[in-house]
Amino acid sequence: MYSVAQLVEYTSSLFQQGFLDDQFNQLQLLQDESNPNFVVEVVTLFFEDAEKLLNQLEKEIGQENNIDFKRVDALVHQLKGSSSSIGAQRVQRVCIAFKNYCEEKNVEGCFKSLQDIKQEYTLVKTKFETLFKMEQQIFAAGGSAPR
Amino acid sequence: MAKNIDKTSSDSENSLCSSSSSPPMSNKYRYMFNRLFRFANSWKKSNSPRGRRIFHRDVEKEEFQYASSHCLSSYYSVFVVRLAIMVMLAILIGLLTILTWHFTKIYTKKSLSSLAYGLRYELLQRPILRMWNILNSTSEITTAQVKLSQYVIRRYSNPASQAEQVELYEAMRAVTWSLFASRKALNSITINYKNGFVQAFHRDLKDNNTFYIYSDLSNYSMVATTSNMLKSISTHQAWDDKTLHGNFSAIWYREPLDPVTGEKIGKAMKIAPEDLINIAGLSQVPDGVATWHVAVSKFTDSPLLSAALPVWDSSNKSIMAVVGVTTAFYSVGQLMRELVEMHSGHMYLTSQQGYLLATSTSAPLLTNSTKPPPKLKMAVDCEDEIIRLGAEWLQRTYGNHFPNSTHEVHVENAKLGNQQYYIDSFYLNLKRLPLVGVIIIPRKYIMGQVDERSFKTLVILISASLCIFVIGCVCILILTNGVSKEMNLRAELISQLEARRKAEASSNYKSQFLANMSHELRTPMAAVIGLLDILISDDCLTNEQYSTVTQIRKCSTALLRLLNNILDLSKVESGKLVLEDAEFDLGRELEGLVDMFSVQCINHNVETVLDLSDDMPKLVRGDSGRVVQVFANLINNSIKFTTSGHVILRGWCEYPNSCNDSPNFYLDQKKSRNLHKSKEKPNASHAKRISMRDNKVILWFEVEDTGCGIDPSKWDSVFESFEQADPSTTRLHGGTGLGLCIVRNLVNKMGGEIKVTKKEGQGTLMRLCLLLSAPVDVTEQHALNLTDNGLVVLLALQGNMGRIITSKWLTKKGVCTMEASEWNGLTQILRELFHARSSIHNSNNFDAHYPINLEGFKSKLLSIKDMRNPIFVIVVDIGLLDLSTDIWKEQLNFLHKYFGRAKFVWMLNHDTSNTIKTELRRKGHLLMVNKPLYKAKMIHILEAVIKERNHELQKKNMKEGDLHEFLEIDSTHFDAATSSDDSDISEISEKPIVKLTNENEHLEENNSRKEESCSSEEKKAKETNFATQGYDRVTRTRKEVNDKKSLEGLRILLAEDTPVIQRVATIMLEKMGAVVVAVGDGQQAVDALNYMASAEDCRRESLQKDRNTRSQTEILTCHQYDLILMDCQMPKMDGYEATKEIRKSEEGTGKHIPIVALTAHAMSCDEAKCLKVGMDAYLTKPIDFKLMVSTILSLTKPTN
Repeated sequence: MYSVAQLVEYTSSLFQQGFLDDQFNQLQLLQDESNPNFVVEVVTLFFEDAEKLLNQLEKEIGQENNIDFKRVDALVHQLKGSSSSIGAQRVQRVCIAFKNYCEEKNVEGCFKSLQDIKQEYTLVKTKFETLFKMEQQIFAAGGSAPR
Repeated sequence: MAKNIDKTSSDSENSLCSSSSSPPMSNKYRYMFNRLFRFANSWKKSNSPRGRRIFHRDVEKEEFQYASSHCLSSYYSVFVVRLAIMVMLAILIGLLTILTWHFTKIYTKKSLSSLAYGLRYELLQRPILRMWNILNSTSEITTAQVKLSQYVIRRYSNPASQAEQVELYEAMRAVTWSLFASRKALNSITINYKNGFVQAFHRDLKDNNTFYIYSDLSNYSMVATTSNMLKSISTHQAWDDKTLHGNFSAIWYREPLDPVTGEKIGKAMKIAPEDLINIAGLSQVPDGVATWHVAVSKFTDSPLLSAALPVWDSSNKSIMAVVGVTTAFYSVGQLMRELVEMHSGHMYLTSQQGYLLATSTSAPLLTNSTKPPPKLKMAVDCEDEIIRLGAEWLQRTYGNHFPNSTHEVHVENAKLGNQQYYIDSFYLNLKRLPLVGVIIIPRKYIMGQVDERSFKTLVILISASLCIFVIGCVCILILTNGVSKEMNLRAELISQLEARRKAEASSNYKSQFLANMSHELRTPMAAVIGLLDILISDDCLTNEQYSTVTQIRKCSTALLRLLNNILDLSKVESGKLVLEDAEFDLGRELEGLVDMFSVQCINHNVETVLDLSDDMPKLVRGDSGRVVQVFANLINNSIKFTTSGHVILRGWCEYPNSCNDSPNFYLDQKKSRNLHKSKEKPNASHAKRISMRDNKVILWFEVEDTGCGIDPSKWDSVFESFEQADPSTTRLHGGTGLGLCIVRNLVNKMGGEIKVTKKEGQGTLMRLCLLLSAPVDVTEQHALNLTDNGLVVLLALQGNMGRIITSKWLTKKGVCTMEASEWNGLTQILRELFHARSSIHNSNNFDAHYPINLEGFKSKLLSIKDMRNPIFVIVVDIGLLDLSTDIWKEQLNFLHKYFGRAKFVWMLNHDTSNTIKTELRRKGHLLMVNKPLYKAKMIHILEAVIKERNHELQKKNMKEGDLHEFLEIDSTHFDAATSSDDSDISEISEKPIVKLTNENEHLEENNSRKEESCSSEEKKAKETNFATQGYDRVTRTRKEVNDKKSLEGLRILLAEDTPVIQRVATIMLEKMGAVVVAVGDGQQAVDALNYMASAEDCRRESLQKDRNTRSQTEILTCHQYDLILMDCQMPKMDGYEATKEIRKSEEGTGKHIPIVALTAHAMSCDEAKCLKVGMDAYLTKPIDFKLMVSTILSLTKPTN
């Protein structure tokens, strides 16, 4: 069982490690009685969206010779937008680097960035999942998530 | 290429040669050279025929580019040019020298040598002629002797006896003597008879003796002779030999004779035969014809020419005797010597065999051998060196053929010994004695002078040309040195240019960086502020926490403002700032600004005054936000550095067409302004030129303060970035020094200029002009006629400047004005004013020693008394009352005594306490305005007063008392502005609204545009809702901004493809009470709109992928969307396209749905792009809650 204190600690560690920024706070602020699961919902949406985008990206980058940088750029742009909206700061940062590589048409950089993004994404996903699990347990125990 | 260089450089060489000679002119020439060189360069580098009409700057630019890349090669080319010019010069000078020398030499030489040839010919001809003469005379004498001998011998033919024989000989002797004596040149004449008898006359040329030589007669018998003679016919040789042998035995005698008479003068002496002279014998006439030969005698050292002829008998069958004549060549030699003495050189004559016959020297011609007889020398054996060498040379050159050849030899350059000689030879073809004459003349004699001269000429020429060459080289060196220096300078310049370019680029990068950075910084700042707002709105904060958070909020706002400044600056610097072009009310903007700053000023005793001239256009076109920003910065600056005194913002207008000055309203400033005018002439004329087209006006502004002032040396530099007049003030006043820089940039951008101007007294005077276009119908004057209403205004204001300015303006308008600056003055004036009318109030406690008894005042009083039914308006500054104690109530009571007779207008401070306000209101003083007082306020006050009076007059008859008026000039919007959450300074430009609230005539008296919209309030319930909301917003305090449901009732279409953002935005908006319809791309957005437009009655959200939890019905009940939030990058159709589409479909319908761009691109160029396609505002991702709400509000507001 997780305690509320643990949850708070975990959340603040996520902020400290730079996984999240205050956009996530804003999200949490938006969550109220009318949208009780708003954060979870949005983050889940983000996961879906990101996975789709990552698949497409992999396909694009996998074309080796003639990578359509414009398309890649657009995809990364989307990913950047959605990640910034949930406050997944690290993913966003890698996205910015990715976009720069795209503009330079640097294939190696793109490869590297894709790997980075994947890594960051899985990392943030596990973090979020842990966070939500903790919240759920606390919620189930009758507590309320701290703001 | 090299040729081109040569050409041009040789061109330039001319100019340069002269340039070196005249140093002061060299600049000019250098310039010329530069042009030529430049021309050459441009010609050289571009194969295209550009010519020299290339635009100068182009050339330079190209040149720089060219030079920067070819800098080194051009150095080499200088050296090549240098070398080439030198070589050219050398060749030229060499050619000139050689040609000159050649011509001078060759012609003289030719003529001289032809002359010399004639001379030589002549010289040689003469001895030869002499020779010829000698030969001729010899032959003549011989012939004569022969003829005479024949005659004599024939007479005595067949001599019978010895006596006859002797007689014959005697006769012969006499004949011969006569001939011999007649010819002095003869050496000898001999007669050799058949019988061997010999008779001879001989002349010894040395000692001038003449001898007669004869043989002994006894030895010769006639018989023997006869027999001999017979034999001799058959064989001459035998005869000859015999006679010779016979002669050996013969005895010869010689007797000296007197050379003139021929008398015997001495005794005959015996001599050996043939000893003395050659006796021509029979052997010499073998065939009986005359012969010539050269003989040598023992006694003379010159060769002799002897001729021999036979004497025939009468029958011509036998030779009776042989006659021989000998002539010495001595005289020829003499002649030659004479000639040679006159001219120089050597001459000689040789026989065909090469024997020397005569020479011009005294060298012996005969071999000096001991063994007689002496022989002739060959020419090659001659003792004279020259002759010998000459002969040898001839022989060597022509070999043995020479004497035989008939042609003559002329050689000019025979080298004999160490000298050069002319050698000429002539051939004289005499029968049996061909002669060859040779003349050798030293070349020096003829050509010596010429050679010398030509040598001298050559030397002079060469030295001269060397000099020229050296000078030329020096010149070229100087020239090319100049050029290379020039090149050096140029190269340096290029590097400088390069450096400058780099510096500019880096400064550009800096601007870019700043722009990006500040943008990036803004986002977190916005987040911080947003979060703080959320925090503040939270209810569960303790008071301490609340105040702390508020403090943080303020600090953040300040920080954001700073960031905005930097962003502005970098925007302007990077040229990305695009000025809006919209109509705005300049006066109102400035009034609002002054209102705002006066709040700040009041705290530290500084008066803020706005002084705009009446001819200022009411509406101008331009970027209102930027204009306000300029003044806000300037005023802010002034206030910051002014501790006491005033800050005045003056403005006047200059129409390009009319030159009349600003009205005499500014009496006190007029003088100084005229002064400035003359200074600013160039500016003004420049501005005028621009303003001639499209109805531009030049607006002049001055911001004057009484602060610490700026040192004149810093007047220019204060406008630089991060520059402050006095760095030490930073601690005191804070600030970054960006303000003025932004101001200058903005002013320049607006086509104006700003500078610090000299000011009398303490403080700073900033003067700027702006070039704005004004609509044609600008100068609409106030409809209110202040003169006719009989207004008397008493200005009892604390601030000197504001009071003076207002009173002047009012006086100009024809309003009788009086001033008082303190309480005592006010009371005194009041007493004076109302004394005549009512004598009640003499009982007041205040002393009337205030010195206002001016003539003007008196006359004013008089004029007021003349007035029929005047309205007294007394403007009282609340500051005149003593607020620190309770005396103000007393004062108020005192003033209240005049209430019925005069209208009181109260100037309130923004912090005037409510107790005072309520007290005033209680007493019925309802006209209250906030400080500062400026024209527009004054006009409103007066209008209100007049209207009120009119009402009073109207209702006097009908009904009294109930009229309850409240006039307040509301300034709450300033509070909203100063505490506005949006830190943007342009926000300050929110219009100051003079709200005149009258309970009965609410709508009529209300001139606020917001209230005007209320007139149509009954039409739609929806609209009413918004209208009231809008109305509320005007008076809203900051609490209301945080109202949770501030977007209540708005319908917003959200076009966003990223589900996450879509969801977040939706929730955000719904939290604010808006109804959100979300679509996935631009196409859907367009369709949704079109659908709405086309089928309003059948509303469905067919396209939306709505995860909205709200009920469909609620959405369906709404009609039009109030606003669209549009993501820029979307699949299918992006935001830009969609916006264009929407705007296109709106064309003609008159509708304009606000579109707000949502983008993750945080660059200002994106903003420009967004606005260009027709979007109204711009929000960056991640969405800032606060900013979004305020943007939406500002956009939806005017639509209602």
